[in-house]
Amino acid sequence: MNGLVGTDVAGTAATWVAAVMTVAVWSYFTGAGRIFRLAQYLLAGLATGFLVLVSLREVLVPRLVSPLLADPAGDLIPWIGLALVGLLVGARWLPPLAGSLPIALLVAATTAFALGGAVVGTLLPQLGASMLPPAPQPADLVNGAISAAITGLVLFGFLHGVRRGRVAGLAAGTGRWLLLGGIGGWLGFLLVSRLALLVDRVGFLLGDWLGLVP
Amino acid sequence: MTERTSRRRGFLSVPGLWPFLLVSALALGIVLDGVIGGDQLQSANPEAARAAEMAAALDALPDGALVLVAMDPDLGTYPEIRGTVRAVLDDLLGRGARLALVSFTAEGRAVAAAELQRLRAAGVDPGRLFDLGFVAGAEAGLVLSVTDLRPAAGTAPASFAAVAGGIAAFDLALVVGGVDIGPRTWAEQVTPRLPDLPIAAVVPTFLHPEVAPYLRTGQLVALLGTFRDDAAYLLAVGAPSGVRDATSSPGELPMLLGLLIALAFIGRAVASHRPGLGTAAAREPEEPA
Repeated sequence: MNGLVGTDVAGTAATWVAAVMTVAVWSYFTGAGRIFRLAQYLLAGLATGFLVLVSLREVLVPRLVSPLLADPAGDLIPWIGLALVGLLVGARWLPPLAGSLPIALLVAATTAFALGGAVVGTLLPQLGASMLPPAPQPADLVNGAISAAITGLVLFGFLHGVRRGRVAGLAAGTGRWLLLGGIGGWLGFLLVSRLALLVDRVGFLLGDWLGLVP
Repeated sequence: MTERTSRRRGFLSVPGLWPFLLVSALALGIVLDGVIGGDQLQSANPEAARAAEMAAALDALPDGALVLVAMDPDLGTYPEIRGTVRAVLDDLLGRGARLALVSFTAEGRAVAAAELQRLRAAGVDPGRLFDLGFVAGAEAGLVLSVTDLRPAAGTAPASFAAVAGGIAAFDLALVVGGVDIGPRTWAEQVTPRLPDLPIAAVVPTFLHPEVAPYLRTGQLVALLGTFRDDAAYLLAVGAPSGVRDATSSPGELPMLLGLLIALAFIGRAVASHRPGLGTAAAREPEEPA
């Protein structure tokens, strides 16, 4: 069974919509900009509608409105949340200071969480893992030396605006090539990832939609 | 320039020709892959260490384990890991685990809702499957959930009573990651607060370089982060429901063809435009002594 002759109406319709939208997006390559833009608008509209729905159903109503209606004096936090929402919504008509308060809190909290987490959860554990154990094996020593050399050379590559001799210039050039190699490796991962997605989509058209492959 | 050469160049510059040829080549690869089959081409990583680590992480779970599935993939890249995620979920259910799905991104919520629907339609016992919904606040929401992951009142089955205790109540966190929230966020925000909570992860290939270091530090107990590791895991556990073939998703031949085409394009680009790095034009002028 496939999308062309399916018996499940909802499933067939979903397959057709997905297939048509896939072809619509690909029409960009033939210069059919209007169809592609239409697909973009549809995606933006659907995403906005979904976000509004999620915000209302899973955040605002159960975590703000319901607690306030059920027990208005029970908890102060929802009231603070409501006040911040009010300030944000009414920012256009309020003094700049009042309107910027929720934004400032949002940015400060996000930064604090991200920075603290990066230090405690990434920087320190990674530094710890990079250090040699008390009784290192030869392989550990070689790995450590290579890591230190690569790190040093790449850092050299970022050395700008200072006097640089022949050796330092060579080190900086090597560092830039190593950096380029690292970026190339990452792009390789990206390429495989995107290729897998494209193959999946072509497979969907051939299999789920047209039924040409099992 | 001869008329023939001009006509040839005109044909090669037809809008959409190269993408059309690429898609056609991939389509041909998919069809041939199905026709030829066989074991000549294998995408599963011969070094199945990552797949074995995932299996070991699941083996270590107690009977009736409570597993938190943090579904936060990106909508655009989820199809790459969809088969693997479904295989891990099937594997967990097959081992008798109870699953609670939660999302910290709106995109992840959309995927989680679809997967929950799929599992319910497949007849999974409602007492072993629970929807914790969407938690707002991104990293702040994740931190709050460490101690307070409350389901909506009256929605939790009795088998999930412990959920109210927050993430600490779970035996394992399976993180299906994306760009916004993923294993890195969990390692940064949850591990420092719950160092004993094992975290396993499934991410698309492009996130692998970012996430792999956390496996080395032990902040992740298992990671399926490349196309080949996914294939190795699928080969080990078998096809999940809703995936065509355990060993050929998305298929070896089309992947090989696509990579060869990509290599040809890279070679052509390198031949026609030498990179500036290292050349006299791009090299930073040395300052006078």
